[in-house]
Amino acid sequence: MSWRRRRPMSTFLISALIFAFAGGPVLLALYGSVVPDRVLLSPERSVFSEGISLENYRYIFTGQLPASYEVEGAQRSMISEAARQVPRSLWNSARIAAAAMVLNIVLGAPAAYFFARYAFPGKRMSFMFIILSPLVPTAALVVPVYLIMQQLGLIGSVWGIILVHTAQALPFTVLILSVFFRRLPAELFEAAILDRCNAFQSFVRIALPLALPSIGATGLFAFMLSYSEYMFALVLSGEASSRPVSVVMAALARNTDVSWSLLNTGIFIAIIPTLILVVLVWRFVVEGLVSGSVKG
Amino acid sequence: MASGTHAFDDFPARPLGRRYGLGSKHMWTRNRFPFLWLMPVLLPVLLFIGVPVAHAFWTSLHQVMLLFPGEPFVGLDNYARVLDTNYFRTAMWNSVWFMVLAAPLVVAIGTAIAHFLQSRFAGSTIIRSVVLLPWVLPGAISAVLWIWVFHPSFGIINGLLKQIGAIDASIQWLNSPDLAFYCVLIAHVWTQIPFAVILVMAALAAINGETIEAATIDCRSGWRRFRYIVFPEIKAMIVVLVVYNALVAFTTYDLVYAMTGGGPGTATTLLAFQIWRESFAMYDFGAGAALAFIMVVVAAALIVAITRALPSDLFGERPS
Repeated sequence: MSWRRRRPMSTFLISALIFAFAGGPVLLALYGSVVPDRVLLSPERSVFSEGISLENYRYIFTGQLPASYEVEGAQRSMISEAARQVPRSLWNSARIAAAAMVLNIVLGAPAAYFFARYAFPGKRMSFMFIILSPLVPTAALVVPVYLIMQQLGLIGSVWGIILVHTAQALPFTVLILSVFFRRLPAELFEAAILDRCNAFQSFVRIALPLALPSIGATGLFAFMLSYSEYMFALVLSGEASSRPVSVVMAALARNTDVSWSLLNTGIFIAIIPTLILVVLVWRFVVEGLVSGSVKG
Repeated sequence: MASGTHAFDDFPARPLGRRYGLGSKHMWTRNRFPFLWLMPVLLPVLLFIGVPVAHAFWTSLHQVMLLFPGEPFVGLDNYARVLDTNYFRTAMWNSVWFMVLAAPLVVAIGTAIAHFLQSRFAGSTIIRSVVLLPWVLPGAISAVLWIWVFHPSFGIINGLLKQIGAIDASIQWLNSPDLAFYCVLIAHVWTQIPFAVILVMAALAAINGETIEAATIDCRSGWRRFRYIVFPEIKAMIVVLVVYNALVAFTTYDLVYAMTGGGPGTATTLLAFQIWRESFAMYDFGAGAALAFIMVVVAAALIVAITRALPSDLFGERPS
């Protein structure tokens, strides 16, 4: 199916523009992470004359200081211990976000399906309750949520963060998935009723397989929301070893002494795992979408 | 088999679509367990959002300050106090302006990119992946990336402008009250585009292929084809995206905090940031909570206005 014919030149130009806007800042971080500060901050020197250096990566993973900071009188404060928490915080974030994603799909998909296909008393009200609940700014909810988690004994445990992130993403999961479920042709479900499927069977056997790409995309959304959430993660995570990456990176970013290249290295390491995940899931989601399984 | 047993009682009497479609009362009377379906969502949302909201509302009606013990009931005093400050008016204006600019920009750019990426060309897979890049970054990281881009001495924008000779002196992007707001806006739009692209692409992919083929024959102009054939099909998704982005722009916090800290002056002080300042910088939790609820009212009114202005079939009586 061809949507339109194009000239290769304009396609290339638009692609280049999208590439520069979306990827540019990230490429700058990659560049910043492999050249030392003295090259980064000096107009006379460039990566071509100085070559690339992986010292910052070595420091984060092994703790060995870059050579330029070993010399006498070097500004030791520019190297922050917080950067060394990045790999561990990635693992924490991955666990939290994956759990929030699974919980969102398992809890949200049936409700979204129900909202999309059935009328029932109180439908508009419960839908409004779910949709309007994220309206309240999180800054006002930090203290009450902390108190609830304290009651539940979940401060400093990943489960507290997982639960809050799940509840935060659920309204969007339900909203987006119900839009997708509504697009499935009604005839399919009429046929299912004629085959004497009950509501749950037609959900599991018809709606779920057909909407799988959309569910994948929505799950990815929940993952990302949790991965990048900062405020609750900050309040609910306890000691340094259980902090997720958003908290560690924020601490690093606010520290104005820290060397730019070390900061950029931390940023780039924090990007890599999700980048891989996004490319993998994106492939799966896009292939599902393009193969036309959800065509209405 | 709650829904199966009586499904055939009045079988030929009504058309099937009416009997089982949304809004048909008959479907509902047969499914007696809405609670089982909705509980998994309502319960966590109630416990981790509903209860905290109620608690915050209680706080907004009491004097809750760290320095003063006891939490006396003060009625609407907190609200009156917050509304009276100049800070509030500035932050309100900034937030509304931010939202009015950000939400349409994100959706328009996102839709354009999604439409562009719909067809395959050499390298389209790479561009599709790169578009997602901003999405994988926590706000603090995006903020650092954009501080670096806008940096007056070492930033790439000033570097390029100097190279082509457009400017002689460095422009103080983030330190000038006029420019900082738009720099933060650009960074915010950058972080929100990937999600819009994904959802619009999914909506585009769900359009019937025959519709597109017929449109290709009927409409020569690409813009008209988009306006009259493609757009109506993805309108529901666009409305959802506009509402979602308006909400995100109105309540955004971490990007602004990390990029400018609300400054210079009050140029980038948004409402959500002001809540944080009232609560955690001035330890006046009552005022912070009151501000939050003023924000909720404004946001709800804006969302109603948006959904009125862009009618969709989302809450319609029949499935599309």
